[in-house]
Amino acid sequence: MRRPGRTDGDEEDEVAGSGQIRQLKRRIRSVQGTAKITRAMEMIAASRIMKAQGRVRAARPYAEQIHDVIKGLAVSNEVRAHPLLQLREVERVAVVVNTSDQGLAGAYNANVLKVAERTIREEEAAGRSVELYVVGRKGNGYFAYRGRRPKQFWEGVSDTPSFEDAQEIADAVMSRFIPAEVDRVWLVYTDFKSSLTQTPTRMELLPVKPEEFEGGDEISPEFMFEPSQAQLLNRLIPQYVEAKVFHGLLESAASEHANRQRAMKAATDNAKDVAENLSRIMNQARQDQITSEISEIVGGAEALND
Amino acid sequence: MSDKTMPVEVVSAERHVLSGEITEIYARGVEGEIGILPGHQPALIALDIGPVRMTMADGTKQKIAVHRGVLFVGDDGKVIVLADIAELADDIDVARAERRQRVLEERLASKRDTALVGSLRKQKLRVDIGQGL
Repeated sequence: MRRPGRTDGDEEDEVAGSGQIRQLKRRIRSVQGTAKITRAMEMIAASRIMKAQGRVRAARPYAEQIHDVIKGLAVSNEVRAHPLLQLREVERVAVVVNTSDQGLAGAYNANVLKVAERTIREEEAAGRSVELYVVGRKGNGYFAYRGRRPKQFWEGVSDTPSFEDAQEIADAVMSRFIPAEVDRVWLVYTDFKSSLTQTPTRMELLPVKPEEFEGGDEISPEFMFEPSQAQLLNRLIPQYVEAKVFHGLLESAASEHANRQRAMKAATDNAKDVAENLSRIMNQARQDQITSEISEIVGGAEALND
Repeated sequence: MSDKTMPVEVVSAERHVLSGEITEIYARGVEGEIGILPGHQPALIALDIGPVRMTMADGTKQKIAVHRGVLFVGDDGKVIVLADIAELADDIDVARAERRQRVLEERLASKRDTALVGSLRKQKLRVDIGQGL
């Protein structure tokens, strides 16, 4: 008898031999082994999500304080003159894409790469040249395969990004933007909304919009500045950009772990289903075997009686 | 709030490092060493790569390795140190910092590079603070 969902031994005889049962046993064991691995990966990813979320939270006070100080300074200082705020005719664009080093994270990389790809297409359709900065081996592989070598590529960063990593990436694009070698920089990353929702997002990193520094409280005149306010702003604005890149990296890391957890949970569930199906088939086969043995014995005995 | 102490908060880009009451704080500004006592005028001071030393209200001393930060003294007398990197002596992995320092020194021996000089200064500071110097 055949059962729906039967995945193995369809070509075999109705009555299963002990060889088939042995084979099924081996397959069940291997599927259960896989389930153990995916289950472990799921739990590791789950604990990583918590850690990554904690890092997102921990990085917030710094970004907010820097932002507040800049806003305060921007009240009485002209920020528009800063080289990172220069609005130019856009001819060359840089795109920073955050992907992961490791796979087995469901559609995480595919989703963020889709947004990156769309951004590149739009910019190129508008006649602008695009250079790529890629974080993560998966993104690098994706673009290299399509004949777009990233201008710069970082690995070993995406899993637990440090601020120094963010600085390096931010410096790479700022050093292109300041001498007008690129006129706009996109940051493509995955926004961690909750452990259930992560949205691939793109953000215009450079030029920094002057509106971002509006609405600050004026700093009281008794303040002492060392060095001058303008020089302080010059130091702080790049730090603000670095903090943004860092934020993108941290959000992406949390999203990567969340996606991996989901993917591994699905894999574990699937493995359990497969194992269950296989053991049903195996039990059926064993029963068939016993039934046929009994009928052979009964048939043999009846033949002797006649 | 007593006029003998002031609240302090040290925030690095990665995390909140420390908060508490202090009686004094010394840091290396880009224009020279600075010391702040309670009742200081409001100020915003850019910090160089260097140690930030403070004495807590209970008399214990804290030393923090700071790379590129600002020191903010608010109207209310609150001191905030905002830095890309701020590490307490206990959090520094001295062996790792020394290893990186050696690598950088070797690289610098073959070519001069201002970025490398900066990284080397960071590692040296880490090693010094980590060893409690």
